[in-house]
Amino acid sequence: MTERIGLAILGCGAITRSEHIPAVQAHPGVQLVALVDTDLPRANALIQSRGLGCKAVADYHEVLGQVDAVINALPNHLHVSSNMDCLGAGRHVLCEKPLAILAAGARSCTEFAEEKKLVLAVGMNRRFAASHSLLKLVLEENLLGSIQSYDFQYGGSFDWRSASGFYFNRAKAGGGALVDFGVHMLDSVIDWFGPVSAFDYQDDDWGSGVEANMFLDVKHAGRFGDIPGHLRISRTFALKNRILVRGTAAIAEISVQDPEVVVIHRTIGGTPASQTLQLEKFPAGSSYWRQLDNFVHCITNRGRPEVDGWQAVRVLELIESCYAHKGRIPEPWAESAGEIGASNGRVGK
Amino acid sequence: MNWRNETMFVTGATGFIGGRVSERMMQAGVPKVRALVHGMHRAARIARMPVELCIGDLQDRESLRQALGGAKVVIHCGLGLPGTIVRETENMLAVAYAAGVKRFIHVSTAAVYGITPPAGSETEEAPLRRTGDPYCDQKAAAEKVVLHYGKRGLPVVILRPSIVWGPYSAWSTRLMDDLRAGQVAFIDGGRGACNTSYVDNLIDAMVLGLENDRGLNQTFFITDGERVSWGDFIRAHMALMEPSPEVGVISRAEIEASRGKSSGLLLGSIKATAQVVRSKEFRQMLMQIPLTEAVMKKAWIWVSSLPAEKRERLRARLGVPRRAAKSASAQFIPDAVTEATQSTTVFFSIEKARKVLGYEPRVRFAEGMKLVEQWLRYAAYL
Repeated sequence: MTERIGLAILGCGAITRSEHIPAVQAHPGVQLVALVDTDLPRANALIQSRGLGCKAVADYHEVLGQVDAVINALPNHLHVSSNMDCLGAGRHVLCEKPLAILAAGARSCTEFAEEKKLVLAVGMNRRFAASHSLLKLVLEENLLGSIQSYDFQYGGSFDWRSASGFYFNRAKAGGGALVDFGVHMLDSVIDWFGPVSAFDYQDDDWGSGVEANMFLDVKHAGRFGDIPGHLRISRTFALKNRILVRGTAAIAEISVQDPEVVVIHRTIGGTPASQTLQLEKFPAGSSYWRQLDNFVHCITNRGRPEVDGWQAVRVLELIESCYAHKGRIPEPWAESAGEIGASNGRVGK
Repeated sequence: MNWRNETMFVTGATGFIGGRVSERMMQAGVPKVRALVHGMHRAARIARMPVELCIGDLQDRESLRQALGGAKVVIHCGLGLPGTIVRETENMLAVAYAAGVKRFIHVSTAAVYGITPPAGSETEEAPLRRTGDPYCDQKAAAEKVVLHYGKRGLPVVILRPSIVWGPYSAWSTRLMDDLRAGQVAFIDGGRGACNTSYVDNLIDAMVLGLENDRGLNQTFFITDGERVSWGDFIRAHMALMEPSPEVGVISRAEIEASRGKSSGLLLGSIKATAQVVRSKEFRQMLMQIPLTEAVMKKAWIWVSSLPAEKRERLRARLGVPRRAAKSASAQFIPDAVTEATQSTTVFFSIEKARKVLGYEPRVRFAEGMKLVEQWLRYAAYL
């Protein structure tokens, strides 16, 4: 057996607890050397409760000399500086999404990784769901006929219990729903349909820069032609949580609840029918495990990760453009109250 | 007082009423809104505004002191679980009093007269009596504590809305869900008094409580001032749906008779409790307790008195169905709380609010429903 890759996880927040640690524990190719968190008791408690047998440190600089690679799960605004430090120390990096708050930061990280000949992978775990590659095959094999449009929506009552709560702070999170879940959606649709050539973006930001809802209409200019797409994200309302890709012959559906299959809807002899497609050979484990496996494979074989820094740059450039040209979602129910208080002739005496 | 130059401190800011209060205050241009946030993950709606999200807990006075900061106006929309309501209100009052707060608007409820307010409770002069319902009795007790602080010099105003509705309200979203699931009935033909309080009308009343001193240390019913029945409320929501669902009519006598025959509610509740309390011993003990229907009714009333979000979480944890099952004849039988809520004949009077505060509900029921419809479409309920 080859030597395992020594790994440190930076940040012991929600995603580390729920996903990265189980993935690392289940992967035979890595050895967890340290958990890093400024809240040392939190890191130690996690080591104890999961039986990790690694050390806890408050400052990642302390362990960079003892590991081959890091998983960077620090709050968004710390990604660039910590990535640069780790890459500077010659360590490979798997960075949680978004790679940076701004595209320029993502570009710096990516160029630096290339210069240092190190792997910089971006944590777009949804790429590692079977449905992602299945839909790619469906599109390539022309199972839907000519692609007409797609509708992608994801929403529910926000319930992400981050340890630091950074996600409601514009400076730390970089935005709201778009930069949070939107990076996944945009990464997927760009991978499926090609670069975005035009867009129209609206959100419900009332001045904090942390929108809870967004609508994004895009046009792709890829190998399937000009594909219009509609994306919606909500942190307040339950949506259908699926993508529908409409073609002239059939409709493909991926449900967020069942990310391992693609359902094809079509009409046969005038009767609506559906067919569930599933890959027969696909690695077991969570999407985070597969993501880690891809990272390990790239380190070992000096390969290109499934989601590299340049893809993150493309997605972040689009997000930046959306924020720069955003419109406001009309909320007539919220605007209807009019002037409040005694200065309004209808209220108060 | 000139509230427009004041920092507002809003409790319950991640909830339906407090969230809208925060929005209206931002729209009014107050210099700052400090929003008390207990669970940060629930703050998505208010986090899109430049409000200050202040972590704190109504059960922890020190956290409240820090969260209040220099605010001199408190709008207390926070709602704890039964058992904590009085203590939490007192904590907020004590902190506000010590900080020299200039106005404390306390959002109470018309349910201080019970889930089914009896005839004679139409005006604020009606004396408060124990109802036996923990939520109602604790909200009534909290009012007494508020008035006590009022006597000590804290400028307080108590508002008693009833069915607070509008965009983001669970009264509409749950009703839509229930209509879709065939779990709605017109109880006694839907004649019960609904006592709607459109959320913006309630907030207008809050502002009037801030603006003039005539309401200090006083209590006011705040409704839309229209005689909207539960039948009206339900039908208005049915009309939004395509196709319009079928809703049967059931009398209270039929509900009682059905409940008498069926032990489903009782057994369901025992099952749910056993799921929470996993010890074998406890389950054995539980089975020995003579659980009367009255006891279980109270349990349901308690569960239903919780805010919608807490109730749903509790139900999900317990694995309890949201409504009692349909009877053998497929006639939907409303649960005890729904029956109690929709059975009052009392329409609360807003004459005192009109005279003393100058309150006049601006949003009429029909207009409010149009806004709710627009919002339901946006929120993907339609």
